[in-house]
Amino acid sequence: MRTVLSATAVAIEVLLIIMVVGLTHGMLQESARRTQGVGAEIMVQPQTTSLFMGFSGAPMPAQIAGKLAEVEDVKAVTPVMVQASSEGGITLIYGIDPASFDAVSGGFHFLQGRGLESPDDVLVDDVYASSRNLKLGQTVELLNQNFHLSGIVEHGKGARIFLRLDRLQDLMGSVGKASVFFVKLRDPRRVNQVLDRMRQILPGYQLRDMQEYVSLMVAGNVPGLSNFITVIISLAVAIGLLVIFVTMYSTMVERTREIGILKSIGASKVYVFRLVLRETALLTVFGIAAGIGLSYAVRAVVGMLFPSLPIEITAEWMVRASLIALISSVCGASYPAIRASQRDPIEALAYE
Amino acid sequence: MSDIIRVENLRKVYQLGKVQVAALRGVNLRVEQGEFVSLVGPSGCGKSTLLHVIGGLTPPTAGRVTVDGTDLGGLNDAQRTELRKQKIGFVFQRYNLLPTLSVYRNIALACHIAGNRNGASRSAMESIVKMLGLEARLDHRPAELSGGEQQRVAIARAVVNHPKILLADEPTGSLDTENSELVMNMLLELNHQFGQTILLITHNPEVALFSDRIISMRDGHILETAADAAGS
Repeated sequence: MRTVLSATAVAIEVLLIIMVVGLTHGMLQESARRTQGVGAEIMVQPQTTSLFMGFSGAPMPAQIAGKLAEVEDVKAVTPVMVQASSEGGITLIYGIDPASFDAVSGGFHFLQGRGLESPDDVLVDDVYASSRNLKLGQTVELLNQNFHLSGIVEHGKGARIFLRLDRLQDLMGSVGKASVFFVKLRDPRRVNQVLDRMRQILPGYQLRDMQEYVSLMVAGNVPGLSNFITVIISLAVAIGLLVIFVTMYSTMVERTREIGILKSIGASKVYVFRLVLRETALLTVFGIAAGIGLSYAVRAVVGMLFPSLPIEITAEWMVRASLIALISSVCGASYPAIRASQRDPIEALAYE
Repeated sequence: MSDIIRVENLRKVYQLGKVQVAALRGVNLRVEQGEFVSLVGPSGCGKSTLLHVIGGLTPPTAGRVTVDGTDLGGLNDAQRTELRKQKIGFVFQRYNLLPTLSVYRNIALACHIAGNRNGASRSAMESIVKMLGLEARLDHRPAELSGGEQQRVAIARAVVNHPKILLADEPTGSLDTENSELVMNMLLELNHQFGQTILLITHNPEVALFSDRIISMRDGHILETAADAAGS
């Protein structure tokens, strides 16, 4: 029973680490993939903007799109206003100009309905629609306004919700402004040359190759996220360490006589110490295996209940979580192991 | 023959709280290689303490203890453990087998601790197991064995590494007459067949008669030595 509890504590430790990292990593990567899915090679943002769109307002004049379109090798440019919505969790809304957005992205793949024809129309992707059980034609409340769900599109092109650009600009009091410009090139291989030309036209703006943007979407670039992850991992480690410590300490007290027997037949302090750590390591390996298995199970359940909540389980973090669990278990078992190894054999043999 | 155990003016004092208890008060003893010696005396006379000091389980307070030429007084805990591992086997009244391990693994554990994991230790184990009649019980746990069988397993574990000295602390104390005789015959066979030096503690005068020599203890002293007990 005690062994099962210890292995469970290790499993929870591993599960916590993999889930926290998987959730943050998954959300960031999924967001990056969707942004990449717009189909642009270059993103243009204001100098002071956050890497994470939706938190920086819309400070750029939308007319910049015209200037960008004139740059050699540029095929299409679309201005997008990005607004975070807090209805049912934080979701990004893209305010788009349908014609230019189609030119850059190649157009939506409509699963149901049609495009944004009227200012009160809204498009959502299939993930958002299924997670909120939305039906075509129904009224959707966003930003304290009612919209008509005119179409459901395949996910993967920027946001999960799309409004007309002019409607969103009006709602947010940013008429004629945009948060980001997506630029489609005639030849994607010429991205560096185009970026150089754009930097001359728009000094002080952030111009990024889409590949660079994707590579920057990691937890380390989100203010406070790394600290949050560190705190959760520390808590997980503390739980694992304490449970292993208490378990191994009480086990060693209970097995005092066995330690005496081992010492009477010539087991050294090092032998006893290593024996305790070996048992701990074995128990931890079971816990780790259970933790990894549980992580996949939790991901499957979360995927069913909350389809818009991606959890990315990576081999790297499975290894890291396993090592963290192993090290914390060994640390937790070290004191009981030292105590066991230092037991006086005669006293230990007399222990009832 | 040369002395394999030599004890000179051995004193052992235990500190029990604020009280000092003198368990051994100047013990002198010599045991020759291949000798089978019984140590008799009432409870609390210091027999087990003497065995523990000779076996390196506890250091002497004063005096000199030499085991196979090694002065235990100059050894630290790790060195005494090493000496025990190499040269001494213990058999206890309560068998002291590990309850979760099978008979085979209980015996193999001694080989593992001694660092003998090769074929030689396997063949030694097979011959000991055969001699002690444990072939059919190797897969059983201690709780599935009779007292006599458990003690035979304990003997097998004690001698599997061919220690020069076997220290037996009341090995028949928990056994009935039939099993006591069986165990003592096995110890005698070990002594005769392999020249195993045996120092045995017992309360039972009949058990002591199996040995070559009987030594009596009282109040931490050696009282007398009855030579050639088995032949008398």
